[in-house]
Amino acid sequence: MWKKISGLAIIGIIFCSLPYMVELYRMEVLIVLLFNLILAQSYRLVNTTGDWSLSHIVVMGVGAYSSALITKLLGWPFWLSLPVSGLVTAFIGFLIVFPLLRTIGFGFFIGSFALGEFVRLIWVKFRDPFGGPRGLINIPSAEIGPIDLYQPIPFYYFCLIIAAISIWIMYRIDRSHIGDTFKAIHTDPVLCETIGIRVPRYRAMAFVIGAFFAGIAGALMAHHQGAIDPHNFEATLMVYLIIYVVVGGIETFWGAALGVIVMTVIFEITRPLEEWRPLIAGCILILFLVVMPGGLDVLLPKTMKLFRKIPGIGQLFT
Amino acid sequence: MEVSTLIQTIANSLVQSSVYATLAIGLALGFGVMKMANFAHGEFYMLGAYVVFFLYTTWGLPYPLAVLAALPIIALVGMLTERLIFRPTKGNVLAGFMATAGLTFILQVLVGQAWGVGLMRAIETPYKGAWEVAGAFIGWQRLIIIPVAILMITALWYFLYHVKIGKALRACAQDPEVAALQGISINKITLTAMAIAGGYAGIAGALMAPIQPVTPYMGHDIIIICFIIVIVGGMESIAGAVLASFILGFIHTFMTTLYDSIVAIMAGVALMALILIVKPEGLLGKVKA
Amino acid sequence: MAMLEIRGLTKHFGGLAAINGIDLDIEEGEIRGVIGPNGAGKTTLFNVISGVYRPTSGVIRFNNEKISGLSPSVIATRGAVRTFQRDAVIHDFDVLRNVTVAGHLHSDQSIIKTLFGDIKGSREKDEEKAMKILEFVGLDHLCHELAANLAHGFQRVLGIAIALATEPRLLMLDEPVAGMNTTETAHMTEVINRLHEEKGMTIMLVEHDMKTVMSICKKVTVIDFGEKLAEGSPSEIMNDPKVIEAYLGAEEIVT
Repeated sequence: MWKKISGLAIIGIIFCSLPYMVELYRMEVLIVLLFNLILAQSYRLVNTTGDWSLSHIVVMGVGAYSSALITKLLGWPFWLSLPVSGLVTAFIGFLIVFPLLRTIGFGFFIGSFALGEFVRLIWVKFRDPFGGPRGLINIPSAEIGPIDLYQPIPFYYFCLIIAAISIWIMYRIDRSHIGDTFKAIHTDPVLCETIGIRVPRYRAMAFVIGAFFAGIAGALMAHHQGAIDPHNFEATLMVYLIIYVVVGGIETFWGAALGVIVMTVIFEITRPLEEWRPLIAGCILILFLVVMPGGLDVLLPKTMKLFRKIPGIGQLFT
Repeated sequence: MEVSTLIQTIANSLVQSSVYATLAIGLALGFGVMKMANFAHGEFYMLGAYVVFFLYTTWGLPYPLAVLAALPIIALVGMLTERLIFRPTKGNVLAGFMATAGLTFILQVLVGQAWGVGLMRAIETPYKGAWEVAGAFIGWQRLIIIPVAILMITALWYFLYHVKIGKALRACAQDPEVAALQGISINKITLTAMAIAGGYAGIAGALMAPIQPVTPYMGHDIIIICFIIVIVGGMESIAGAVLASFILGFIHTFMTTLYDSIVAIMAGVALMALILIVKPEGLLGKVKA
Repeated sequence: MAMLEIRGLTKHFGGLAAINGIDLDIEEGEIRGVIGPNGAGKTTLFNVISGVYRPTSGVIRFNNEKISGLSPSVIATRGAVRTFQRDAVIHDFDVLRNVTVAGHLHSDQSIIKTLFGDIKGSREKDEEKAMKILEFVGLDHLCHELAANLAHGFQRVLGIAIALATEPRLLMLDEPVAGMNTTETAHMTEVINRLHEEKGMTIMLVEHDMKTVMSICKKVTVIDFGEKLAEGSPSEIMNDPKVIEAYLGAEEIVT
């Protein structure tokens, strides 16, 4: 118990002090890191039922477009539009997953891609209200009552709070009976069906909950960037999301977050090689899928065990 | 629609369908044999176009030779992909698919670094002039694609039904275990399948090089349509892939002419979603027990 | 009124009738064996009752409600739960978690409770219930073992524990002792007998192993070529000339 609390406290302190440890221009990276943490964890939640979706980045876009349109056209305040866009995204997520419940595995993967692409093409096609290929601009920046969240540091802390709440809720779901049911469905859907678990219902539930949090991440992103367009939610970015989850691994709850952090660090280190970035990402993806499937969260405990065996260094890790 | 426009659109549809078919049969072959879902198939197509750019425009080789050269070169790329990605991830469709998605990134960057990112490579048309039918003009460059595609499909059919390794390939597609029991090396078969898939994608790219702008990202749009085609046709069915190529080729070309290219892709995607819901095994796919 | 009532049940595959016009009644508290030679349609009958296949014609009523045509999960919710011949357990969960997951129908966890309630408390309650079931079937000493690491016999017993966690009214066992050694068979037989005697569970079992069927069941139904051939007590069945001719004649009755 105390080990857990102290671990969380250390992570909390690190995240709270990060803005003061980096140069101001790096704040952008930190904020994007928080979006990606929510996004990757929500993607992992969908994956626990065994359904790999290829539409999650578009689902995030639904949140971004909803919040942008709600604040721009309806003039609702940001604090209201944030949860509402989460709900809108969850609803659209339901519409996407419902026809896919007959498919499994690769069919689900490709089918989700097709329906996601369809949603994305709607944004490209209809200038009113989605702005067509150029997207939406002049999205109001985030503010809550008198607090202006336009500046990077306040916005960072706001996102940190939202990310912490979102991840905490997803953690509770993962630990609950519902989370167990998701994982059981992944392992043996036929058995689950015969003990009265309505498998399609739970698969849809995982997708919809995942969509809700992806929508929250998208809404935060929209107000941060001030402008969004359909290119922000292309398949290429979906591959990056897959990289986070594959690198981190889905065996344990924190795998996806680990993947996001590791990849963000790698991308920052290789910043001078900007145009080579996709190549690096591609190599890492292939490396993890081919050489070490299971990702870091399977690899790390093994490495830790090795470390513990070394006298002297071992004590540091126990 | 005027008669001349109609004829023009039909001709364009046939050309487009032929290109789709040469790409989609390769994709269906790989998936049928060992559940190899190759996301980098579009990049093979792109590489084929660059082979023509390199050999024909830069080196000055005759165009037909450059197109023929694309076959072994991209076949080799296909074999490397099988050896380095599909063989280690055997049995896991998603892992192979995702890893080849990583491969698309690598190939795009490598080609971009070698020949320039975003630079459109214009390749001079070797066969100028057009065939005039009822007021419609169909460029010879486009027209030759149709017989070449027919030739390629026939060749593949002959290979699958009359050549020993081709028959083994079909046996393997039906039941890998039975094929293995008969002493057929699965690795050799998957290697062959990926070589054919690669080579065919290479030729498709080579044929389209003088018609389309050649960029490192040209494979991206076409791979989406190719996956729609194999899903609609039935993932493992080559005949289904050919049939679906023509359905999608016509839908795509007509929708583009009547509306715009976005509506065309939307129609394709909607068709695929419909097939997945109503008949998940595809038009000519077999239901798995 | 019988608990499970089957009338004229038929299932065709293509043009072939796997089962053809079967009538079957199972009373509450009964323990019934269904036997037949290989390919007689036992497994198909099982799959149709549990909802895996939709019957071509005929009606299945459970507690006076029609269940034919419903999905397996709904049939299970109504209280008719089956087990599998294969090792149907959640391999990457430990034994206890396998049973708690299966207890979902009677767990008080909802999405609202998951978000705001006491997950730990209700998990402990679920685990307590699950432990009782594990004690009953004699797997409590293995409760923290990974299901994948269990011996085949224990996995099959766990399969029954999983089914019991749904609190079924009718338990349908698909060849419960298939592939087991003598010790495992004895353990399984004891579990089934105690379920029947101590808990009064209604049980229907399809079995190939004659010895087990004859020692457990009070009443046996024989099917052959998808049709009901005979029905009666084990001794009646063993002396029925039709049964001996069709099924038992070739081999020894008790093997």
